[in-house]
Amino acid sequence: MIDLELAVHTAIASVDDPEYPGVSIVDLGLLERLDVTDSGHVHVGLIPTFSGCPALAMIRDDVQDAVSMVHGVDRVEVEWLRAPVWTVDRIDPETRAVIGREFTVAVRIGTAAPECPRCGAPTTEESMFGPSRCRSVNRCTACAETVEVMRS
Amino acid sequence: MTVDVTPAVREFLLAIADDKHLMGQQHAEWIGVTPFLEEDLAFCSIGQDELGHAALLYELLAGDDDAAIDSLAYDRGADEYRSCHLVELATDDWTVAFARHWLFDTADQHRWTLVSQSTVPELRDVAARVEREERFHRMHADNMLDVLLADATARDRFVTAVAALAPLTQGLFEPVPGEAEAVATGVAAGPFAAEWDAFVETIEARIGAVDWGSAPSQAQRTQRSNDWQALMARMREVIDLDLSATW
Repeated sequence: MIDLELAVHTAIASVDDPEYPGVSIVDLGLLERLDVTDSGHVHVGLIPTFSGCPALAMIRDDVQDAVSMVHGVDRVEVEWLRAPVWTVDRIDPETRAVIGREFTVAVRIGTAAPECPRCGAPTTEESMFGPSRCRSVNRCTACAETVEVMRS
Repeated sequence: MTVDVTPAVREFLLAIADDKHLMGQQHAEWIGVTPFLEEDLAFCSIGQDELGHAALLYELLAGDDDAAIDSLAYDRGADEYRSCHLVELATDDWTVAFARHWLFDTADQHRWTLVSQSTVPELRDVAARVEREERFHRMHADNMLDVLLADATARDRFVTAVAALAPLTQGLFEPVPGEAEAVATGVAAGPFAAEWDAFVETIEARIGAVDWGSAPSQAQRTQRSNDWQALMARMREVIDLDLSATW
């Protein structure tokens, strides 16, 4: 039972966020609930970063496919939950470093100005809205790098 | 998962969902043609949120079957929609589109405040998520207004746009079928019209007195405005190419 749950969790963690290839949806804090029964019935509860995110169906299908492949799984239901509301606090600290390094994306924690992933200087907001629902666009005050900022 | 509500309360929730759905579509139609890039991004993001909120409500009413949700969103007869005429209005004037965004999102905050205290837990959940995202919409409108209202020409244009939309804005607060029952059963904390004075206060504090004119004739939102049919045809453009296609 525990082994099956672990295998299912690993399968879910193998699903990347379409915005960040190589970054797991689990590390971004999208997995809220996982129920695995002895008979291999799996129920996965996910929460979206923003409700209008166009990637929701894709992520749900990816999780469905990944969990279905696990030996011992008989039935899979993947559900987008209405609660709780996702916040950036749910992003694993190590993952924050990865998306900063690989995607030049900073994470806004609290009200402090997000730091530039390149040089560490503060950034200022250029546009409240950015290329996806969960990101705004900032610019570094020191090196002038364009920095996308995940916020909640 | 569907929510257990009476047919009357369902009509009431459809009014909120349909407003959001059409508002999202209207914003989306500005993508690529707003006056500058930041507004393009803003209307794109705000539009996506509105569509997302509509989808959350349609899902509560139709269940989590995608085809059933789509059917509720796109396949009803004209008299079965519950949108107000403000969100149906066609405009190719960005000032009017921006003014509508500000009026709608200010009103929307009042409406969701009523639903955030609902006796229906699923609606309280949706209200919490909606408010987290709507906060950005209002911040965006406020920041832009700081800039527009500081310039005499821009201010004139903006105030004129609000005046043109003022009568239709009243239609946003008109009682809808099922509202009385929704209030009586605690689904909403009060009727939407009860928020009108507070709404007007917020708007007029920003731009001064507004002549709100007379409310549109929309028969408790059972009648569509002249612009609705063309809007729905654009929304259904791809579906209508091949009605037998599976999505």
